Amino acid sequence: MKVAFPHMGNACIPLRALVEYMGVEAVVPERPNRVTLERGARHAPEFVCLPFKITLGDCMNALDRGADTMAMVCGMWACRFGYYAYVQHLILRDMGYEFESLLIGREDPRSVLEKIRSAVGRRGFLKLPGAAAMFRSKAGAVEELESMARKIRPREEVAGSADAVMVSYLDRLDRADSIRRVRQLRLEQREEMTSLPVRDCNGVLRVRIVGELYVLLEPSLNFDLVRRLGTQFGVEAEPVLSTYRWLLSPLWLDPLLHVSSSRARRVSREYLPYVLGGEEHMTLTGALDAPGDGFDGVIHAYPLTCMPENICRTILPHIAARDGIPMLDLCFDEHTSTVGTVTRLEAFLDMLRSRRDRAGSVHGYRVYNQKMEHLSIIET
Amino acid sequence: MPRALMFYRYYPFLKAMLEGCGCEVLASPPTNLEILGEGTNRCVDDVCVAVKVLFGHVSRLAREVDAILVPRLVSVEKRKYDTFTCPKLIAAPDMVRYSFRHLPPLLDFTVDVARAPWWWSCVRLMRRLGVPLRVMPHAYSSGIREQEGYDGLLRAGLLPADALSRMYNGNGTSLPPYLAERDVTVAVVGHPYLLGDHIVNKRLFHWLDAAGVRVLGSTMLSERDLDAEEPSLPTLSWSYERELLAAASILMKRDDVDGVVYLTSFGCGPDSLITEIVRRELRPAGDQVLMEMVLDEHSAESGVRTRAEAFADMLRHRKKAYASARRVP
Repeated sequence: MKVAFPHMGNACIPLRALVEYMGVEAVVPERPNRVTLERGARHAPEFVCLPFKITLGDCMNALDRGADTMAMVCGMWACRFGYYAYVQHLILRDMGYEFESLLIGREDPRSVLEKIRSAVGRRGFLKLPGAAAMFRSKAGAVEELESMARKIRPREEVAGSADAVMVSYLDRLDRADSIRRVRQLRLEQREEMTSLPVRDCNGVLRVRIVGELYVLLEPSLNFDLVRRLGTQFGVEAEPVLSTYRWLLSPLWLDPLLHVSSSRARRVSREYLPYVLGGEEHMTLTGALDAPGDGFDGVIHAYPLTCMPENICRTILPHIAARDGIPMLDLCFDEHTSTVGTVTRLEAFLDMLRSRRDRAGSVHGYRVYNQKMEHLSIIET
Repeated sequence: MPRALMFYRYYPFLKAMLEGCGCEVLASPPTNLEILGEGTNRCVDDVCVAVKVLFGHVSRLAREVDAILVPRLVSVEKRKYDTFTCPKLIAAPDMVRYSFRHLPPLLDFTVDVARAPWWWSCVRLMRRLGVPLRVMPHAYSSGIREQEGYDGLLRAGLLPADALSRMYNGNGTSLPPYLAERDVTVAVVGHPYLLGDHIVNKRLFHWLDAAGVRVLGSTMLSERDLDAEEPSLPTLSWSYERELLAAASILMKRDDVDGVVYLTSFGCGPDSLITEIVRRELRPAGDQVLMEMVLDEHSAESGVRTRAEAFADMLRHRKKAYASARRVP
């Protein structure tokens, strides 16, 4: 049996570990790119959201590489995501691919375990606890690597040094075959990241990124937004969601995630009293908390026609106006171009910078006012 | 009450109930281009056209009324699995509340049948209005009665807009022309707010009618028919979309239907997947043709007209060709 699962950011590293630990071969196709997206968009419904299209292309890549079982989470939500697997597999079968579907839903835990057991066999199933521990440790290591890289990128002396470390360690983590090895790598990566030469710059802008999960975490969809903000613009970007969070929160492997997510529901209840099935609570809470957490601005990224995020988008301008926090909406679809996105980012960041300069000194205001008076005198 | 979204489903009920409580109910006028334009300006750009229409109606009403009722439909049926409606229906009052600056208070009418029965939502609405307890049963039952009358008209094949105008404007008692027996029959499947709003569907029914076609709307199917169809279909937790899927399935199996038009609005989240399921899972088994029609605020009437006429011509041609082909052997 060869199992494949769709890509999402660096989620393939822990997922591959999970599957291979149980003695099943995992097929990991190449990272998605624009070609994958185009391939998916050709066969996907016209105005379905973007993650559907790119994961469809990704599934095709995996099937071309010889995968015979497609694993995917599914379930009954108000958001479309719950039906992705069902419809995608319909489309793929119509295209002539033959494969087994391993759909893991929100049923009771026993039937989920039963499904896994029948897929991996008894011997593999007995290794499930070990696989889960491996999964968790790799997910944690990847998460730490990503968050450190986010901090260092805008401050590094040599551009691209943090990324070089990150890439080399991601590769090593992917190949690590025991939890002890992962732990050791984690120590090493921490050491190496902290020893990178950094400039002393206090004035680094900090931007929070909220929005739809997949667009936030998949660099091929958001034109590498987080990394680009760090290296190209020298801005520290912090997404509210992470791969780690998405992978671990349904499995109850990290209780802290549940604390923060129930807090997010509580805080956003004033705006959205009912669950919509997406990450709308994290989006709203991220924007509400942004001024208090010391962020200069908020970027809201979402795919075209995303239902929960569109609803957030009607509410976010209200929050932005009330709390006085600048906000940029970035809507992604398969026609969005790098240049358009970068131009908007540039303009937004320029605005943030001038806003900070002005707020930082009363002097700035005075000069500005004098100039205006001066001009008016000339005119009269 | 803004004439948008689930207005076309529950208006008679809510109107009768609120009038039973002594309120004056003012429905916004039928959508016109001005309302559509206002809604498009006010609303986020990539939601479906039905939500934009809602925004237009709310802004029209804002100056004229003391309170606006935008229902919040979280779930409309109780089942073994979780059921929902579209997220935009769940969050409709929130979207409206935070998009307008000066708005009369929004009446909270939250329907969550999975958790509390329908009548409980009505009681909460009436208590919010300060209605004494003894009036409530009467108001509620008059609402139910009115809704039954409306549903009866829909079952007879009238479109939501025609049924409403018959009930409240006293427009005629004869059947509308699109229900007359014709040589070709087309079924139109779509949300009641698309079928009911002639500005949004660009008078599709008129054009089909003018092309000499008998038109059946998916609103004419009763809940019992739809539920009977359900076991053969994939389970969906979107209640209204499950109904559409069942309707499409029923209408595609009927012998007297020659073609099916699946009407959807651009950006409609659930429908983007449902059309795919309809196309691939329920592929027309017999002699039927499926046409998908996507509407948005830029659709033009002439475009819809051309497609309707072409579809009718094609069906007629096909019928003739089939008939002669059968005669040959």
